[in-house]
Amino acid sequence: MTASILDGIVLGLQFGVLAAGLTLVYGLGGVLNLAYGQIAVVSGLVTLLTMEAGVPAVPAALIGLVAGGALGLIFDLTILQPVYRRHGEARVLLSLLLTLGAAFVIDGYLNWRYPLRGLNLRITGDPLVVFGVRMRMGSVVASGITIVVIGVLYWLFRYTRLGRAIRSVIQDEEGSRLVGIDPQLMMRLILVLSGVLAAIVAITRSMVAPVNVRAGFSLTVLGLIVTVVGGLGSIPGAFLAGLVLGIINSVASSYIGTFLSLIILLVAAAITIVIRPTGLLGVRE
Amino acid sequence: MLEVEGVSAGYRGSDVVRDVSFHVDEGETVMIIGSNGAGKTTLFRAVCGLLPPSSGEVRFLGEDITGLPAQKVVRRGLAFVPAERHLFPQMTVEENLMLGAYPEKPDPDTLETVLELFPRLGERFRQLAGTMSGGEQQMLAVGRALMSQPRLLVLDEPTTGLAPIVARNAYAALERLREQGLTILVAEQQVPLALAVSDRGYVLENGAIGLAGTSAELASDPRVRSAYLGVV
Repeated sequence: MTASILDGIVLGLQFGVLAAGLTLVYGLGGVLNLAYGQIAVVSGLVTLLTMEAGVPAVPAALIGLVAGGALGLIFDLTILQPVYRRHGEARVLLSLLLTLGAAFVIDGYLNWRYPLRGLNLRITGDPLVVFGVRMRMGSVVASGITIVVIGVLYWLFRYTRLGRAIRSVIQDEEGSRLVGIDPQLMMRLILVLSGVLAAIVAITRSMVAPVNVRAGFSLTVLGLIVTVVGGLGSIPGAFLAGLVLGIINSVASSYIGTFLSLIILLVAAAITIVIRPTGLLGVRE
Repeated sequence: MLEVEGVSAGYRGSDVVRDVSFHVDEGETVMIIGSNGAGKTTLFRAVCGLLPPSSGEVRFLGEDITGLPAQKVVRRGLAFVPAERHLFPQMTVEENLMLGAYPEKPDPDTLETVLELFPRLGERFRQLAGTMSGGEQQMLAVGRALMSQPRLLVLDEPTTGLAPIVARNAYAALERLREQGLTILVAEQQVPLALAVSDRGYVLENGAIGLAGTSAELASDPRVRSAYLGVV
């Protein structure tokens, strides 16, 4: 039991980072990015190709992060421009349609050009004993990186002027303009951050299991489930839901079977939404 | 300091205010009075950059700021406090005040002045803005605007939703700001309160300026007396 809960926490931390990238973009600009998983996959692929070109793993992973951020920026500058000109429900809908289209295009290209490729960052080393459980080195390193990322996000949003400015746009966009903040610029920064987070998920995930080029949609769906359970637009909610669902997923996998874990995850999500339609920590509406 | 010339503005192509001109000189307190729906809010939104005017010109400190977005207008020294306040409800009083100074670091002297003006904000420093009373939120909205060290403070109906005694306190604070030499432009329905602190005023009726004059002139004008002061 301890082992599967620990595994669940490792997974849950990654779920949290995955969902944070989606929920920030939604909270800030009312945009749901359905190509989010594809951004993760492309970043992983860039890391893989860079390593194959002879670059060591760590700098290659950093290049992967840059690729994720760059993709976020490209989205902001291109297909999201018409989205920004709409408001409310029309904006959410158009963002769904356009990013879904982008996801299909990216998926199609990857399947044609790089079929069956996948990033697999094997980390060697003796298993580490944590709370009496032997953890693979890959899991330990992935969790360490993820925890540092969560810490950096917390520091950014809690203690920096920029983080405060971003939160102010989420809480009251007009109020943020009145104190001199440009919401459009904040949205651009958040899309870059969201792309980097997607890349971090792909890279840390590949230390535990391979991330292949077809994983895009399942990553997006996972991110959406966690986001909705945590409450759309809530960063703490994303991490809380990530941990809860990560543990549920891992316990269900080891006691019931991996083939049913996604269904159990969906059922858990559905029950949460029925009981609390705004999600665990949602505040909107 | 602020010159508004022939400004028309509105929503979806239909103008709510038409061809409005007025000005505010350095050190003055000017009020715009008008009933509900006269166009005060639309006019102020057009002046401070939240709503691009459909025609006309807005000049501030000698420079054309017509159509400049609100986030740039505030950095030039024109701070706007809307009637709905638009605070950040899930943030503390402290964080709201800090954001007022954005993108700069908050100036400690300015913060001290704000907390002297509104000691209540100091007592509630770590409380979430959304959990405060209407009067306290109004203080915070004005305090946040002051943190940007504005040359001109523009307030839209600062007494909206406030109990009469709280409204009087709000105007007492404005009076103190005026004594410190701040230039103030205020829109108000509660005309007696606004008349007491302002030098001059304009009456906005159906989206156009109907009357202008010093506060004393307006206070003795029979039309103002019957429409806004309740004197027959």
